[in-house]
Amino acid sequence: MADRSPDDLPFGRRRRSAASALAAILVALLLGALLNAPAMKKTAQESPFGGARSFRLALIDPLAAVSHWLFLDRPARLTAEALGKPDPGPSGAPLVVVVTPRPRPSGRPGPAATVKPLPPPKRGDPLRLYIGGDSMAGVPGMALTNLAKDTGVMEPKLDYHISSGLCRPDFFNWPAQLVRQAKALHPGAAVVMFGANDQQGVQAANGKVYAFETAGWKTEYRRRVRDTMDILFDGGVKRIYWIGQPIMPEAIFSRHMRVLNAIYRSEAHKHPRVRYIDAYRLFSTGSGAYSDYLKDEKGRLQQVREGDGTHLTYAGGMRLARVVLAAIKADWLPNKKSGALSGSPSPRASAKVSPAP
Amino acid sequence: MLFPTITFAVFFLVVFVGNWLLMPRPHLWKPFILLASFVFYGWWEWRFVLLLALSALANWLFAAAIARSGTAAGRKWLLAVAVAANFGVLGWFKYYGFFITSVVNVLEVFGLNADIALLRIVLPVGISFLTFRVLSYVIDVYRGKLRTASLIDFAVYVSFFPYIMAGPIARAGEVLPQLVSPRDPRRIDTARAFFLIFAGLAKKMLLADYLATHIVNGVFTTPGQYTSLETLFGIIGYSVQIYCDFSAYADIAIGISLLLGFQLPDNFNTPYTAVSVQDFWRRWHMTLSRWLRDYLYIPLGGNRKGQTRTYVNIMVTMLLGGLWHGAGWPFVFWGGMHGAALVAEHRRVDRRRQRAQRPERRTTALDGEDIGDLGVVGEAGAGAGAVAGGSSAPLEYDRRPWHGGVWPRLGVFAFVTFAWVFFRSPTFGAALSVLGRLFQSWGGIGAAVTPALLLVIALGIGIQYVPRSLYERTEAGFSALNPALQGVVLAAGFMLLDVLGPSGPASFLYFRF
Repeated sequence: MADRSPDDLPFGRRRRSAASALAAILVALLLGALLNAPAMKKTAQESPFGGARSFRLALIDPLAAVSHWLFLDRPARLTAEALGKPDPGPSGAPLVVVVTPRPRPSGRPGPAATVKPLPPPKRGDPLRLYIGGDSMAGVPGMALTNLAKDTGVMEPKLDYHISSGLCRPDFFNWPAQLVRQAKALHPGAAVVMFGANDQQGVQAANGKVYAFETAGWKTEYRRRVRDTMDILFDGGVKRIYWIGQPIMPEAIFSRHMRVLNAIYRSEAHKHPRVRYIDAYRLFSTGSGAYSDYLKDEKGRLQQVREGDGTHLTYAGGMRLARVVLAAIKADWLPNKKSGALSGSPSPRASAKVSPAP
Repeated sequence: MLFPTITFAVFFLVVFVGNWLLMPRPHLWKPFILLASFVFYGWWEWRFVLLLALSALANWLFAAAIARSGTAAGRKWLLAVAVAANFGVLGWFKYYGFFITSVVNVLEVFGLNADIALLRIVLPVGISFLTFRVLSYVIDVYRGKLRTASLIDFAVYVSFFPYIMAGPIARAGEVLPQLVSPRDPRRIDTARAFFLIFAGLAKKMLLADYLATHIVNGVFTTPGQYTSLETLFGIIGYSVQIYCDFSAYADIAIGISLLLGFQLPDNFNTPYTAVSVQDFWRRWHMTLSRWLRDYLYIPLGGNRKGQTRTYVNIMVTMLLGGLWHGAGWPFVFWGGMHGAALVAEHRRVDRRRQRAQRPERRTTALDGEDIGDLGVVGEAGAGAGAVAGGSSAPLEYDRRPWHGGVWPRLGVFAFVTFAWVFFRSPTFGAALSVLGRLFQSWGGIGAAVTPALLLVIALGIGIQYVPRSLYERTEAGFSALNPALQGVVLAAGFMLLDVLGPSGPASFLYFRF
C-alpha cells in the first residue's frame, strides 16, 4: 500500500518525523511511569520472592520516590478515589496472616471423630454452597454451580480470583476474603481449590522467607491450610470439600502438585468435617499418566485440559464437579438414591473422595 | 508478549529506535526487524519460532518452485502440495483434538473401541493467521499477480510482529512492496498511530475486559445464576466485547506499524452499523472476508456457475470460515448461520432481479453481476436502484436485501448477536442453556444490570456511530501539538486507563484463533 502524498491527510493532519515520534514516546513512557509508579510498585511487590522481585523493586523504588516527591503519584490516587476504585499503590496487605489457633470442633483430630448429622437441604431452605479458589477453581466451579443449581436444593456462590493462592495474602488476602464471604453468605458447605500459584516462596510470621518445598515452607504452608479450614468453620461452614490439584503435563509441575496435595490430604484427614477430593487421580490415565483427553462416565472421549495443559476445559470441569457434587450429596442428602439428582459420578470417579468419617 | 505491558513498551522503544536508525540500510534493517519479530513471538514460546522460520522457508521455496516451473500442470501440483502442507500443519496443531475426539466418539457409537494414541498438541498462537498470510503469497505467485520476493523480505512479511498474533491478515502484495524501498522517517502519521494505539487500549481495557469480567463470562458459564434480563445483557455484552477486543488488537497493530513506517489494511469498519448480513461481512474482520472471497469463494466458482452453485459456494465458504475460527461444531454452526443468512439475502435480491428480467418488463437476460460479489465480502456500490450492465440497456433493481435504516440495523445486530452465542459457547448444550435462560427468569432485573454496564454497552455500540470526521478532526488537532505535549497527553491517558482498567493484562480473544 503506497503512502498518501504529504498533504492528503484529512483536516490538515500533519505527518511528523521519527525524531518527533521518539520524543513523544519517551515523554509518554517516562511521565507515564512516574504517574503510574504506585501501580508499578504494587505489581513488583506482589511478584514471587526472589532475585527478579528484588531487581524490579530496586528499579521501581527510586521511581516511586521521585513520583511521590514530585506529587506525580497523586493524580492516579485522586482519580481512583474519586471513582471509588481501590488505591493503585501497594495495598498494605500483610505478607502473613495468622489465625489464632483454636481447638478442633470434634475435640480430637482424625477421620474417626464423630460429627453431628447434617440437616438435609430443602427447596425453601437450600444448602448455601460457597466455591472459592484461584483460576483453577473457575471452570469446575462454574460446572459445579450449574449442577448444584439443578438440584433445586443448593444455592451455590462462585468466588474465584485469578493468580491468587495461599502464599501471598499481599496479592490477594484469602483469609480476609473468606471471613467476609462467610459473614455475607452464611454458607453451609464450602468447596475450595488452591495451589496452582503456590509454587513460590512464602514468608512466615518470624519474617523469614522460605523457598518452595523446604521444610520451613511446608510448615508455614500447612499452617495456612489449617487456618483456611478454621476460618471457614468459624464462619459457620459445616463441611469443607478441599479439591487437590490435578496432574500436570510437565513432570516437575506434577511433582510440585503432589507436594501440595500431600499437605491438603493430610490436613483434611486430620479433620472429620473436611473431605479431600483427589483431582490428581481423577485427571490421570489408567496408567497414572497425564493426558489432555479422558473418557467420561459414558465412555465418550473428551478434551479435559485447556491448551496450556494446566486449566480444565468445561468438560474437565464437569468431570471434577460431578465428583464434588457426589461427595456433597453423600453428606447432605444421604437418603437420595444415586442418580436421582443430576451430576452422579462414575464409579471410578467416586473413589477419588477421601473416606467419610 | 502482550501489547498492554511494560515489557512490550520497553521492547517497542528499542525496536522503534533500531528501526529508524537502520532503515536506510536495508541489509541491516531486515535482519533486525526479523530478529525483533522472532523475539516478540518467542517471548510466548521460543520453540515455535522454529515453526515460524520453517513456514517462511518452505513457502518461499514453494513459491520459487512455482515461479520457475515450466508447465501449468507442474505449477498446479506445486500449489496443491503447498496448500496441502500448510493446511496439514494447521490441521495438526489446531484440529487434532477436534478430529480425534470426533472419530473416537463416532466409532464408539458403532461399538468400536478405538485405542488411539492421544498426543498433547500445543497450539501456536496466531497459526491460523500465519497460514493465511503465507498462502496469500504462494497463491498470488501462482496466479502471476506477484513476483517472488527474496527470502529475507518474505520472512519479514511472514513474521512482522505487529500482526503476527491476531492480524490483520495483510497480504503479501500489500506488505512486500513496502519492503522494497526504505520508509521515509520524515513522514510518519504519528497522530493517527497514537490515536489508534490509545483507542485500542481503551477499547480493550475499559470496555472489553469490563464486560468480560462483569457479566459475559458469568452468563456464558453459569447462566442459571442470572436473571433473563441479565442474560440478555450478557449476550449483548459479548457482542460488544468481541468487537472491542478484536478491533482493539487490529487498531494497536495498525498504529504500531504506522510508527514503524508501514501501512496495514483496515480490519473493521463500524460493523454494528451494518444494514444487512452482507454489509456486516464487508465491515467485520475485513481482511479475513476478502481472503475467503479471493482464495476460497472465487476459486469455488463464486457466482459464475448459476444461482444454486452460488448459494452452495457461500455456504461452503462460511462453514469453513466458521471452522477456521475454532475446532468445534458450534463454530461450524455459527458459520452456517451466517452462510444461511447470506444465502437468504442473496435469494431475496436474486428474486428481485428475476422479476426485473421478466419479458414484459425487460428483454435483457444478463445483469453482469461481478464475480467478486460473494455477499460475504461483496464489493461496494450495491445501493438502491443500482444499474447493472446488460448488453443493450441497464437493468434496474434494488440490490439492498432490506429496506430502511433503523430496522435493518437492529435486525442485523440482533441476528449477529444471537449467532455469537454459539460462537462463545463451548458446546451446543451450553449455548442452549444461555438462550433458554432468556425465558426462565423474568422476575427481576438482577444485580449485574448496572448503570455502568449499560453505559459500557452504549459506548461500545455508540462509538461505531460517531462520524469518522470527528475522529479525524481529533487526530488533526493532536498532530498539531508539540511532540512533548503529545507525550504528556498520552501519559495522562495511560494513567487513566491504568486506574480505570482491570488489574493485570488480559490476552486478546483472537489469540486463540
